[in-house]
Amino acid sequence: MRNRRTTALLSVLLAASLAAVATPAPAQAEPAAVTAQTEPNQVHGLTVVQGDGYATLGWTPVDGATDYQIERTPVAVDDSATGPSVITGVWRPNRQINNSSPTFADAGFNPGARFQWRVRARFGTTEQPYSEPVSGTTSAPWGDPNVPGENLRTQWETTLAAQYTSDVDEYAYTAAIDELSDRVRVTEIGKTALGRPINMFVIGYPTPPATPEAVAATSPLMVNCNVHGNEPGDREGCLIMARQLAFSNDPRTLDLLSHTTVLIVPTINGDGRAANTRGNSTGQDLNRDYSLIRQPETFALMQMLRDYRPVAGYDGHEFGNSSAGDLPMLPPRHQNVAQSIFDESQHMIEGHMYTQGARDGWWPCPYGCNGGGNVGLSEETILRNTLGLKNVVNSLLELRSSGGTTRPDEGNTANNRRRKAYSALWTFNQFLDYHRANLKEITSARADAITFQVSNTGRIVFRGSRPIEAHPAPHPGEAPPPLDAPQPDRILNDAPCAYKLTEEQYHGARTDGPAGQRTTVAQRLAAHGWKVVKVADGYVVPLAQPERGLIPLLLDGQAVEKMVDAERLYPTVTGQHSGQLVVSGVTCLRDATVTGPVRVRPGAALIATGSSIIGPVDASGAAGVFLTDSAVEGPVRIAETSGPVVVVDATVTGPVEVSDNRGDAPLVAASTVTGPLHCGGNASAPVDLGLGNSVQGPKTGQCASL
Amino acid sequence: MDQPVNPPPPRSLPRLRRPARRHHPRRRLVALAGVALSLVLTGCSGVEPRAAAGGTAAPAAAVVSGPLCDLLPSGSDPGNPASLAGQPAEAALQWLPVLTTFEAAVRASGLAADLRGGSGLTILAPTDDAFAAKFSEDTLDQLLLVDKDKLRGLLREHLVAGSLSLSDMVAAGQVTTLAGTRLTVTGRETSARLADRADTVCADYRVANARIHLINRVLGDLPTTARADGHRAH
Repeated sequence: MRNRRTTALLSVLLAASLAAVATPAPAQAEPAAVTAQTEPNQVHGLTVVQGDGYATLGWTPVDGATDYQIERTPVAVDDSATGPSVITGVWRPNRQINNSSPTFADAGFNPGARFQWRVRARFGTTEQPYSEPVSGTTSAPWGDPNVPGENLRTQWETTLAAQYTSDVDEYAYTAAIDELSDRVRVTEIGKTALGRPINMFVIGYPTPPATPEAVAATSPLMVNCNVHGNEPGDREGCLIMARQLAFSNDPRTLDLLSHTTVLIVPTINGDGRAANTRGNSTGQDLNRDYSLIRQPETFALMQMLRDYRPVAGYDGHEFGNSSAGDLPMLPPRHQNVAQSIFDESQHMIEGHMYTQGARDGWWPCPYGCNGGGNVGLSEETILRNTLGLKNVVNSLLELRSSGGTTRPDEGNTANNRRRKAYSALWTFNQFLDYHRANLKEITSARADAITFQVSNTGRIVFRGSRPIEAHPAPHPGEAPPPLDAPQPDRILNDAPCAYKLTEEQYHGARTDGPAGQRTTVAQRLAAHGWKVVKVADGYVVPLAQPERGLIPLLLDGQAVEKMVDAERLYPTVTGQHSGQLVVSGVTCLRDATVTGPVRVRPGAALIATGSSIIGPVDASGAAGVFLTDSAVEGPVRIAETSGPVVVVDATVTGPVEVSDNRGDAPLVAASTVTGPLHCGGNASAPVDLGLGNSVQGPKTGQCASL
Repeated sequence: MDQPVNPPPPRSLPRLRRPARRHHPRRRLVALAGVALSLVLTGCSGVEPRAAAGGTAAPAAAVVSGPLCDLLPSGSDPGNPASLAGQPAEAALQWLPVLTTFEAAVRASGLAADLRGGSGLTILAPTDDAFAAKFSEDTLDQLLLVDKDKLRGLLREHLVAGSLSLSDMVAAGQVTTLAGTRLTVTGRETSARLADRADTVCADYRVANARIHLINRVLGDLPTTARADGHRAH
């Protein structure tokens, strides 16, 4: 948040007063062409298009211009000035990816007010003549004041941004939207440490799907609006967007909501918001806790992710860097994040946001943009990275709160708040549009990521980021975040097959988290949605599951911020194995070839990755069965398993039967079955996480739709 | 919350920050090269009462002065100086958008009631920018959540007995805070300099039994913990 500045204002005040010069009365908003003569290097073709809380200025570039200044003057209906002119910003070539059509999003005004704008070029510090003025009335806050629902306003809106929306007002506003819109269901996903509800808008058209599983089937997207209590700008944007989605009948909104479900969590940190603290009521920075989930707030969000399974996300913040662009964004960089998720997240930022920013005049850029400091790194405790490790395409968003060389230095005033909140609203709406237009690419990236993760291949990196290269000049990304390559002692080349926890590690009382609200490792792993196999002498967490990249970061002794120091289990069968394989205890196959039948004994666990089994696989009453990135020639029967069943990216030549399993929903996904697939009698119907399967024979029973 | 809120209807008129300049209504100011990016403030804030946007003259009590005043609620906006005149200090603080840290600190400290009592009070309230320049986010959270005694001590460095106007303080030449620190006061055009270290940036909010002066530095002797580059981790 914010930065210093107020002393500068004094000297500016003096200087400006001395420098006041008369200028001609502003012209009406007639086309510039009617002006008889033009001056050399004058900006031409100025256009102003009104958006929600901002106005996009566009103009024809002037040859030789170094930058441009944008001037705004409040005017009456007859376009006479009603207040002083201000320079509201400077356009620089690094602002947008195409310099042939400069645009500038002017914001930081009371929506609905009328202004006149002019733009002038500068050659170095030498100012050129201003353009002809263009005036216009800005868009009033969204929603017809006479239409119920549309006429709802937040505290931030009704106080003209003098106050942020309080927790009490947020709950009332949220409840009103919930009551008045069929499209919205507000659900409480948890409570803060002090007991404040953590609400989530679930928005779909004509109504949102009834259950989390049904929502998950729509490939939903999520905005986490406010984790740091003293960075509330994104939350105000979210609350306005929720109203638009709930009540707008424009074709775009109806189209968006007809194709997916929008999940908006306005305030995960209600205690911090009320106290104006970054952390929660215990002082814990929640954006350093999303993997460890020691706190009830982060715990609740991970449970929500497990149940609703958004495929894409944005995480809202504010940032005080005075030289940054408007909207620093950053993808999940941790090297354990699947390449496809990183690439798609980068595409969302550089491919979409940079392009749309150049169209609408906003300035997205990588985290820091310019001198961002040693931040934006690989901590898996940060939601951006946690989401990536959960195979969610996503970005962090910063709202630039400080003034500086390209934005006015206005402190934490109403206009500064408006610029931030409406730039967040723009970004989140762009995010919805990206999801709508690129859902196939997003889900494809997710499928690739999940199949990669369950294969348990490649090294484990405990800390270390993927590099983000500078975007070619002129560009909004000339100064990318630090390289943050993994140090040698943060790399584990030989990944284990699984981690084994003792009873004490798994169920023992913890000392971390708020007193009275502490959770066990068992509860936390369940909140993450991980598959855990209970064996005779402990609990086994195989890496052959979708969140493979996150598991070692919490369970390995070498991890930087681990939950426990669990025992590494390495493969027990590699290479060739001829004859029958009888699995007892925990048997781990990696890159093995078994020529013969595999029989998993009751109470045993099979974890097979990258293997070939030439023969049938029969597991009856096993503790857990994991079959990923493997081929089986012969029938596969997995029945009466007491724990997890995972069959992902498997190729089975023969029939597959998954029946009467008693654990959580078996995961059967991205597999090829040359034969029938039958599922029946499972305590929870098998799921495919939206990845589907390729089955030549009939799909029947609980697997009919997989 | 079971009942929907019925917020007041939005204002129908465009917001007018200040009336047109009387003598040169068709003139505008052109920004100077070199200061172009800063807001150009033209008024002589505080030397005369400003008319409210609706045409109703604000009471003389609503005169505030300083370079930041024009960026704060004015005219008939919610939170304008006249509207705060009868409010308790802790309520008035909630309407000054640049005081969110100070306002939260007052609430966290438990000193809110003290702001009302006694024979008047002068509140030297550092802006959010001032706090951000002084303390790291960790320090701020620690002060607001844990180190309440230290926080109260810090706040007392910003409180002076008696409801003193800017001109009262300048005339006195010095004031003593409730923490016992003596601050020199030097008058400037529409502001004052305190302890040769902080300037008032919008002074003379009259509230119930107190004056609030916004200042641009944190007073007291707590160590500075803000990062020099001003960057904060996300």
